[in-house]
Amino acid sequence: MQTEVIDYIRFGVLSPENAKKLGVIKLTVPDTYNEDGYPIDGGLLDQRMGVIDPGLICKTCGSRAKSCPGHFGRIELVRPVIHSEFSKVIYMILQSTCRSCHRIMLSDEHIDDYKSILTKLEEDTGDETEPAAAELGTQGEKGDHATMLKRLKNMKKCERCGAQRGKLKFSSPTYFYVDDYKLKPDEIRELLSKISAEDLSILGIDGSKNRPEWFILSVLLVPPVNVRPSITLESGERSEDDLTHKLVDIMRINLRLEQNLNAGAPQIIIDDLWELLQYHVTTYFNNETASIPPARHRSGRALKTLAQRLKGKEGRFRYNLSGKRVNYSARTVISVDPNINIDEVGVPQEIASKLTVPFYVTTWNMDKAKELLARTEYPMVINVISKDGKRKRAIDTNREDLIKELQVGDILERQLVDGDITLFNRQPSLHRVSIMAHKAKVLKGRTFRMNYCVTSPYNADFDGDEMNLHVPQNLEAQSEAKFLMSPQYQVFSPRDGDAIITNNEDGITGMYILTKDNNLLTKEEAIYLLSIAGIYKLPKPGKGEMYSGKSIFSMLLPEGLEFEGRSGNAPFVIKNGTLVEGIVTKDTYGRGNNKLLVKICNDYGYEELKRFIFVSAKVADAYVTMMGVTVGVKEYTTSKKLEDERVRLLEETFEKINKLIQDYKARKLEPLIGYTPRQSLERMLIAELNLVREKAGETLLKYETSENPAVEMARSGSRGSILNIEQMTMFLGQQATLSGGRIKRGYYTNRVLPHIVPGDIRPSARGFVATCYYSGLAPTDLFMHAVGSRSSEVYKALLTARSGYLYRRLSNALQDYCVDSDYSVRDTNNNLIETIYGGDKLNPIFMRFEEDKKED
Amino acid sequence: MPSTDHILVPEHELMSDKEIKELLKDLDIVPENLPKILESDPQAVKLGAKPGNIIKIERRDGKISYPYYRIVIEG
Repeated sequence: MQTEVIDYIRFGVLSPENAKKLGVIKLTVPDTYNEDGYPIDGGLLDQRMGVIDPGLICKTCGSRAKSCPGHFGRIELVRPVIHSEFSKVIYMILQSTCRSCHRIMLSDEHIDDYKSILTKLEEDTGDETEPAAAELGTQGEKGDHATMLKRLKNMKKCERCGAQRGKLKFSSPTYFYVDDYKLKPDEIRELLSKISAEDLSILGIDGSKNRPEWFILSVLLVPPVNVRPSITLESGERSEDDLTHKLVDIMRINLRLEQNLNAGAPQIIIDDLWELLQYHVTTYFNNETASIPPARHRSGRALKTLAQRLKGKEGRFRYNLSGKRVNYSARTVISVDPNINIDEVGVPQEIASKLTVPFYVTTWNMDKAKELLARTEYPMVINVISKDGKRKRAIDTNREDLIKELQVGDILERQLVDGDITLFNRQPSLHRVSIMAHKAKVLKGRTFRMNYCVTSPYNADFDGDEMNLHVPQNLEAQSEAKFLMSPQYQVFSPRDGDAIITNNEDGITGMYILTKDNNLLTKEEAIYLLSIAGIYKLPKPGKGEMYSGKSIFSMLLPEGLEFEGRSGNAPFVIKNGTLVEGIVTKDTYGRGNNKLLVKICNDYGYEELKRFIFVSAKVADAYVTMMGVTVGVKEYTTSKKLEDERVRLLEETFEKINKLIQDYKARKLEPLIGYTPRQSLERMLIAELNLVREKAGETLLKYETSENPAVEMARSGSRGSILNIEQMTMFLGQQATLSGGRIKRGYYTNRVLPHIVPGDIRPSARGFVATCYYSGLAPTDLFMHAVGSRSSEVYKALLTARSGYLYRRLSNALQDYCVDSDYSVRDTNNNLIETIYGGDKLNPIFMRFEEDKKED
Repeated sequence: MPSTDHILVPEHELMSDKEIKELLKDLDIVPENLPKILESDPQAVKLGAKPGNIIKIERRDGKISYPYYRIVIEG
């Protein structure tokens, strides 16, 4: 086949002559079907404009519905109308030209000035096809085109012929007045047609290819019927497309106008009809044209005309062209199930019966294929695709025939079963781990089930989130998904190498209380927990036939694991697969502390890593369930001891602060280097206030012991922090720190609230709240707290919107870059982006160090 | 001090025809696929580079350094 390279595509305006050539027939009858339900000749569904019913033959090209591309028809308007989408341009041209001599109203010198700018710009861009005048209006030595137009607009007299001109008024969408006289479209066309191509080029229009008089329509193209197909309702009634409705309106008015013209009707009737025709043509192009009411359907619904088809989110571009839909996919609500492995997804039976996986028939699996095809319940064949690509639906009545016809090379489409590779996705798909390969696990229920350890890569929760499932449709895609996209290979983040698929939340709490020192379990408990992990032997019992929590955790570890790390500040030591010292906390599981997972991955591989994450999460979950960890108001109640401590701490701090303030007032304060005394004081005060909060945290940890689940959760790092508890039981601390400093304005005379003495710089006057949520806040304190909440809320909203879009643009710009086998980064055209990936060939996913990297 | 000598500006160097030939072979690439540098770029001016020349840039990042190549284009 011969191919040609397209040099360029030119967009322009259609001339009436071309429109006549393009429109294969002239439509004359403003109707669609006759009484027999047959398309009327010369009507809007004339078969010369193409056919849509299968079996019919197009009267223009002689082909059937499938291969007929459709042909335009035309309506010849008896009176011309303005194309409303061009009225702004028409206005600009009329403003700039003289209505007597039809030239731009400037003398040759002035025109030459503007022309020279134009030619200079053309030379600069080196591209003559570029609309230079449009450029002039927006950039470069801009101003000039705009100022020229502005000048022309305000001119009352033509510089060339000296003719006075009346004021031109434009009223959207299509009305033009000179003083009070309304210009008719044919008059406007007359004016436009007399402007020379040379003058037009100064106005930014290529007059040799597009004539402005073509902005006035006398021939209206009618799109082929396959652009506006009619729908046959179940009742047998035909329902026409909105465009057809609109075209019927246009033709009806056109016909009436013609009749009235021929009958010599009074001018006023003619004008009314003409205006009505103009309205219909305007709404035919855009039914949301400003300042005219939209044309409506009988039901009152606004018609969807040409512009509406293309525009916006539901328009042709965003909905159909950039938004494609796929087969072999499913979507439903997600929910948790710790018994589902991290590389599995629970698929509802309903979905599994609908989705299919191809089964390729070969010589070697012929028997199995026939067996499969013979099945009449759940894992059965739904379609048979024969070698020549014909798809046949397998129904109970034709299975025997299909089995007989079955041959090597056919493809069976069988229902989804356990173990099939699927792709699981949650939108927005911001990074690669937003789509991962999970093995299907068909379950009862109507939701997708997933392990809670894989929620973080998808950024999913279970408050109603929905996710999508896709089934790869050939062996290559399946294996590619399986070996590249399975969650166990995605445990370590490509961003920084941290673990992103790990145990979290309750799973951490569970492991923490399980592995606490002196935690002992009965034999029954030990057996129960281990059986959940699929381990059917017991560790050596400790004293009194009891099993330590640490020994249970050890059973979950890979055999013979050697590990030395830290859990917070405490050592965490595993020797020969046994936890000898340390408590499992969030630090054990990753997010900046991935060393245990790294060690397991490096020494035992991805499958063992997967098993460990899954099993430890599952056992922890079971243990939490067994122990019943719960928090209530009790956990956040102030005790006498804490209250005393709070008062003591605050008194101490306030005393120090008062001293600082006194020193400052007596000019005795030693300023910090680089700061004025006032700034130094502020910094010292803030430091004191932060210090007291830290001290409060320490006290809290000292007094609240392991009996308090809230503190336990904070300690293990699973949920909540010491600060949270502190704010509930002791005091809130400094609130409303706006752009780094304490709040200081709000009410006039330099104070935050009228309750405060102007110039007071003590903590209480600047947003320090000394009470806690449990005891309640004073109104002024609540105000300070609300200031802080509001500002952080606003900041969060702005930041996420901004950074989200920033990230989207960046990832779209970089998405096709690829690291080559020689570690160079290239795009799809083999353009070199970087000689060596990142300058160091390092991929964070594989930067797994078991030891702390020594500073060198 | 000319800005081209600033400490943060990596070392630029004009490549000989022989080096270019080798480079293009190594990278399996045509010159048009290389990143570009304007003829009017201060570094290109300093080296007296003409369109079509290739400039080797030694990029430093901490303790490591790696080469980067740019083809000089008009402008």
